[in-house]
Amino acid sequence: MVLELQKPRPIWQIMFSTHHTDVGLLYLILSLSFLFMGGALALAIRAELFLPGAQIIGDAMTFNRIFTVHGTTLIFLFILPFASAVGNYFVPIMVRYKDMAYPKLNAIAFWMIPPGAALVWLGFADFTWYAQPPYSIISAPGPAADMWIFGLKILGVSSVLGALNFVVTILKCKHPDMSIGQVPLLAWSFLASSLIILVAIPTFAAALLMLLTDRLGVSGFFNPAMGGDPIAYSHLFWFTFHPEVYVLVIPAIGMMYEIIPRFSRKPIYSYNSGIFAFVLLSIVAFSSWAHHMYATGMSFTEKTVFMVGTLAAVPASAMHVFNFIATMWNGRIKFSTPMMWAVGGIALFFSAGAGGVANAAMPLDFATHDSYWVVGHFHLFVMGTIAFGSIGYLYYMFPYVTGRMYNETFGKVHFVMSFIGTILVFFTQHILGLYGMPRRVFDYPPIPEWIAMNQIATIGAMIIGISMIIFLANMIYSSGKGKLADTDDPFGLGGKYYYPFEAKNPKH
Amino acid sequence: MKKFVGLFLVLVVLVIIPAVDSVFAAGDEPGEYLDRRVIIWNLFFRMMTVAFVVGAVVSGTMIWQCWRFRESHPNAKPTPYEGTDW
Amino acid sequence: MSGHSNWPEWIYIAVVIALMCWVGAEAWNAERLVEHVPADAEVIKVIAQQWFWTFEYEDGTKTIGDLYVESGKAYKFEITSKDVIHSFNIHDYVVLMDAVPGRVNTVWFAPTDVRTHDIQCREYCGLIHYNMRGTLHVEEPSS
Repeated sequence: MVLELQKPRPIWQIMFSTHHTDVGLLYLILSLSFLFMGGALALAIRAELFLPGAQIIGDAMTFNRIFTVHGTTLIFLFILPFASAVGNYFVPIMVRYKDMAYPKLNAIAFWMIPPGAALVWLGFADFTWYAQPPYSIISAPGPAADMWIFGLKILGVSSVLGALNFVVTILKCKHPDMSIGQVPLLAWSFLASSLIILVAIPTFAAALLMLLTDRLGVSGFFNPAMGGDPIAYSHLFWFTFHPEVYVLVIPAIGMMYEIIPRFSRKPIYSYNSGIFAFVLLSIVAFSSWAHHMYATGMSFTEKTVFMVGTLAAVPASAMHVFNFIATMWNGRIKFSTPMMWAVGGIALFFSAGAGGVANAAMPLDFATHDSYWVVGHFHLFVMGTIAFGSIGYLYYMFPYVTGRMYNETFGKVHFVMSFIGTILVFFTQHILGLYGMPRRVFDYPPIPEWIAMNQIATIGAMIIGISMIIFLANMIYSSGKGKLADTDDPFGLGGKYYYPFEAKNPKH
Repeated sequence: MKKFVGLFLVLVVLVIIPAVDSVFAAGDEPGEYLDRRVIIWNLFFRMMTVAFVVGAVVSGTMIWQCWRFRESHPNAKPTPYEGTDW
Repeated sequence: MSGHSNWPEWIYIAVVIALMCWVGAEAWNAERLVEHVPADAEVIKVIAQQWFWTFEYEDGTKTIGDLYVESGKAYKFEITSKDVIHSFNIHDYVVLMDAVPGRVNTVWFAPTDVRTHDIQCREYCGLIHYNMRGTLHVEEPSS
């Protein structure tokens, strides 16, 4: 299971394995491949927007397809599978079980992702990851749109199966000596996010079916020409995908809960408040979905209810930040690469959250809705918090997966460049939104402020792009030729790691 | 603890009562229209003032503790947990 | 875990909750003021379709792409769409409302400066979404 690259096995032994670390490795490779593919699309978008007019990408249709696939890829094919990779490696170890509860189901859940991904990428749909009717019903060209719907259907089933497996593994398979209040916070984060998936995803699954039959013309759920209501789709979509935001962010916070105490050489400040905040977040996740829809003509009362529901998520998120700061307090912090990513991620998590509070305040929606402000805001979450936590954790688990150490200097260069790039791109996009630039536009009028802001953002994106090339080279080179890691204490911190090599499987 | 209760009472008086006041004082005279730009951007800038103050406190704390508690700091000392199996 | 005093966290959480109450109260009040349509506002019907705007005034005249209003008066937009969802946006006046087929959404404003402003579509609506633009002409009051 461990050290695959030192003691090579035939590739099909990994591919057809149901062991949790093998499935975890598959998840890891798949998610990182799609990180680079989706990132390349992002660079194409930013390059096109460097100047007004068409330069890199020939026409609006191609541009629209690119940002649709960019969003779909990075959410469903990078962030979610990456979390599953970490969960597969570590959750069984943390609850002290030999494997996931249902190993075959685990492998099936993984192998549903490549066909789903193929449908999304070969179709290359153009209706944004939101697929809003009536555009997606009456205007979006097929078969791309239909392939996207089927692809998302498969990916949705895959994440439900994966979530089910995590819930059963944590609740039913944990060691009898261990109460649920002793399970590490990383495993708790998977429990919380998996429960959200089980409650939230079926709604979107239903909406996708309705969208498909609407496209086929046999129903008119969302088609106003047939008496349907397109806003109903928005409700169904956001009822799934606002909680989905927490599905993405909670495991990333769980990963930070693993890294920060470890590198501060100190236990977590308050384990109980971490659990409390996870549980609270997964409940209030369901009270705020319609804050995405203030501009669709909601009544004052509805808006007020959803504003309060949104603001209710803030104290729980703030508890996590407090916990991290209090854990680092009086520690002896070793700033290795994983710790730098985690601390950077917390700083950006705060900025993203503050922007979110401004979004939730109803009248400000007139200024920020569907502008670049929103793009900057949620990218600070998905890139600044979730990807930062995930990449930090990837560096943290690298010695375990490969038995070798990554190059520390290049890891730090990667962090510094990505941090600067992220600030340049996404903080600038907030300001661009305040200047009124709409999102999802292929071209923009030559307003001097818009040009300047777009150019800063593009330069930032290119800095991130270069850092990601350094990252890729570091990962590939170090996994084959890096110096051998001390697998008991790869970072020289002392203490007991949650590294899964403690679990021995006789089959490997 | 009593001090904080008092503090919150003061906050209630300072924040909530003026808010309620302005709610019931606002009327609508014909020909005199509210400027939505003023209302919305005022709200925005007030919130940004608070957000940047809180942000300065939070990120200032984080930068300071990253500087102070780094292991290469002259005053860094081992935590009580080092050398144990925590 | 347990066993140590946690009062700093409770104070911190109380401050966060107090701040959120302030944000909510301020936003609620501002929204209430902004949503209150003056009784004498003139109605302009806004019809969105791929990829242009049609404006219908109270006297029955229609213009396409250009919207003419007078400074010092209040206007109420009744916004709808003929095909897909668009979003009517005059950013300089912070006017924004989705144009949803089958629904009529309203938003109002009172222009003050005699000049032109951009009108744009802010909800993705297909091929030429990026260029679904118009112009707002604010003119001197006629009377």
